[in-house]
Amino acid sequence: MELNTTKDAFDRVVKKQKLSSSKSHEVIDQVGHEIQQALAQIVSTHDPTSLVDHKTILTELKVQLNAISPFHQLEGSQKELNINLSKFPKLLEKTFNPDISKAYRNVDFDYHTVNQIIANHFYQQGFFDFGDSIINEAGEPETAVAKFQFFEMHQILEAMKVRNLEPALRWVYANRRKLKHNGSNLELKLHSLQYMEILEKGSQADAINYAKTYLAPFAFLYKEEIMKLMGCLAYRGRLTSSPYAELMSPSHWEKSTEELIQQFCSLLGQSYNSPFGVAIAAGFEGLPTLLKLANVMAAKKQEWQAMKQLPVPVELGKEFQFHSIFVCPVSRDQGSEENPPMLMPCLHVLCKQSIMKLSKSSTRTFKCPYCPAEASVAQCRQLYF
Amino acid sequence: MEMDSLPNGNSATPNPSSALIPTAAAPPSSKLNQLAESLKLEHQFLRVPFEHYKKTIRANHRVVEKEVSSVISSVAEAADRDGMSRDEAVNHLSSLVSRLQGLKRKLEEGSRVEHLQAQRCRARLDHLESADAQNLSEWNNVKVKRILVDYMLRMSYYDTAVKLAESSNMQDLVDIEVFQEAKKVIDALQNQEVAPALAWCAENKSRLKKSKSKFEFQVRLQEFIELVRAENSLRAITYARKYLAPWGPSHMNELQRVFATVAYKSTTECTIYKVFFEPKQWDFLVDQFKQEFCKLYGMTLEPLLNIYLQAGLSALKTPYCYEDDCTKEDPLSQENFRKLALSLPYSKQHHSKLVCYITKELMDTENPPQVLPNGYVYSTKALEDMAKKNNGKITCPRTNFVCNYKDLVKAYIS
Ligand SMILES: [Zn+2]
Ligand SMILES: [Zn+2]
Repeated sequence: MELNTTKDAFDRVVKKQKLSSSKSHEVIDQVGHEIQQALAQIVSTHDPTSLVDHKTILTELKVQLNAISPFHQLEGSQKELNINLSKFPKLLEKTFNPDISKAYRNVDFDYHTVNQIIANHFYQQGFFDFGDSIINEAGEPETAVAKFQFFEMHQILEAMKVRNLEPALRWVYANRRKLKHNGSNLELKLHSLQYMEILEKGSQADAINYAKTYLAPFAFLYKEEIMKLMGCLAYRGRLTSSPYAELMSPSHWEKSTEELIQQFCSLLGQSYNSPFGVAIAAGFEGLPTLLKLANVMAAKKQEWQAMKQLPVPVELGKEFQFHSIFVCPVSRDQGSEENPPMLMPCLHVLCKQSIMKLSKSSTRTFKCPYCPAEASVAQCRQLYF
Repeated sequence: MEMDSLPNGNSATPNPSSALIPTAAAPPSSKLNQLAESLKLEHQFLRVPFEHYKKTIRANHRVVEKEVSSVISSVAEAADRDGMSRDEAVNHLSSLVSRLQGLKRKLEEGSRVEHLQAQRCRARLDHLESADAQNLSEWNNVKVKRILVDYMLRMSYYDTAVKLAESSNMQDLVDIEVFQEAKKVIDALQNQEVAPALAWCAENKSRLKKSKSKFEFQVRLQEFIELVRAENSLRAITYARKYLAPWGPSHMNELQRVFATVAYKSTTECTIYKVFFEPKQWDFLVDQFKQEFCKLYGMTLEPLLNIYLQAGLSALKTPYCYEDDCTKEDPLSQENFRKLALSLPYSKQHHSKLVCYITKELMDTENPPQVLPNGYVYSTKALEDMAKKNNGKITCPRTNFVCNYKDLVKAYIS
């Protein structure tokens, strides 16, 4: 985005402000100088009984100050500054969208709910003091459950950061059955990390002992992985230049950490990403389109507050796609239970209503709108996404 | 309706020539375009510190004008006065000299503040400029925090706002100082004190007048009501003459109704008058003040968080979100979000967007959908993976239907 115009305009404001400010200093100095001169004159008059002298000086000073006409002096630079001060906001309104709340619907957006959402966001990210702080300041009831569960997760992660796997392993042992059900071999991954740590920093005997106790149970299911790990024994002390150097990469720690978060959240019944983060990010992507839509609708005097479905798509990245939406290419209707997607023998897909129309209510065969193939209703079957 | 002016609003007519190519999703608009669009939303981000800066400049200038003018008239007055002794004249002028020196110090302090505020404006311009396609996700993280701080400041959760801003070292990117000014007025109104609110009105008189604000009138009304409540009719009437009467021409109806309260007591059961005495009138004043305050600084009236969250929820909302099997990665699978989205519209799609039930990945040309003989559809990736692990056998995870990989057919969905 072109910001140079805005920056230049701002620089002009600052320049005029500096000019105006130094003009103020100048005027004050001038006035001060005149007064000081007058003062010096009065002090230097010798006859203390003389009324005329200092009176004359004061009158002269008055005339002198009027001649300086300080306000006239200040006016010029102030005027230029004012012009720039009122120009700049106008430029901002032109360059940016001056009111993004045009896309906002004035519906009850319950702030207690929003506060809970924010607190949970902080807890999930591990910012427990922020979560507690907003709950406190807003006077919301505590959402203790989510907080303590996330607290455990972040303790595990903190320990992993300093390569302490104990808390992580304790959690894995406690949830072995569920992890297995999820198809996760996190336990093996954590033991491998621990084994590599010992191999690098501890004695050979320790490493062998560890392998016997903790890696051996996986030997049957994960033959190759275990063989690699054991092979490392031959290169102890020079692993970084061995064929197994890759096993030393910190990326293994990162991946295992990520998997732990994933599994932990999954067992909690929580999402991997903060739902608040996801919804706001969708807002970042969607708001520009919604604003354009709101403007178009306002111009056509259409109701923004009450509509049931947006009239146009708001394209979001694929990370925001959580549901299968089938849109019939002929009718543009969204698939539903009453009007499901149907697969034709040519493997093109239309919605049921479109097929009923084309077949004149299943009284005849029809040509696929997208290829030369013919089909009858009986040959079409419903799809489930 | 036709929405051809929208960049993403693909035209509603099907295009048979491209329909033969199986695609599931329109290509996402380029990151750069997205960035430019999202920077355009940052009006408030630049406007608020600028208004703050402007306000300081004006205030500083007023001080200079006032002081210089009062020094000059003080000289004139001394010159015109008869019988001033020499010593008196010396003292008088000396006091004016030190007054000007005081003014210079004040002006220097003022310049320092102006400078800091100009720097804040620059920091924000630089922050907008620093966003590029590579650091967009980091930049958006900061934006989320900015939006959170904005929400907290507007909701008067000052401590949390300050903590969050400090911990992320983003004090220049949020408007804590600006809101400190609001806090004084809000705190006072919540204690049923009007002085700071009235002072604020006086400070911003010309701009409030320009926007036809009636906030001051409402504050004055409330002060009047409090006098009536205290059964101080005489003072109430004097107050009304002085402070309410000037609003007569534009607010006659309200005025008449309020004057009538003098005849009633605060315990009145008459609904028209009872409402004036309710304590929630003070909350109403706080809300009114917040609105005026936001307007004055060029802020949106709603917290940014509400605007973005609503936009996001509208874009995400589908009828499937309210079903039990909505994936937990979808914010709308959670009760809190469902509640907020309840009266928002559903999103609209012009093209099919299919998500694999197994992998949750988008099914598109690279990862096309395949149909089991029972009509259930999964992504090629998921099915290949399953076939590899089970000697070519496919088991439908939703129906337990079993078939061979070679029994599957690719569906062409446009
Ligand atoms: Zn066909
Ligand atoms: Zn959903």
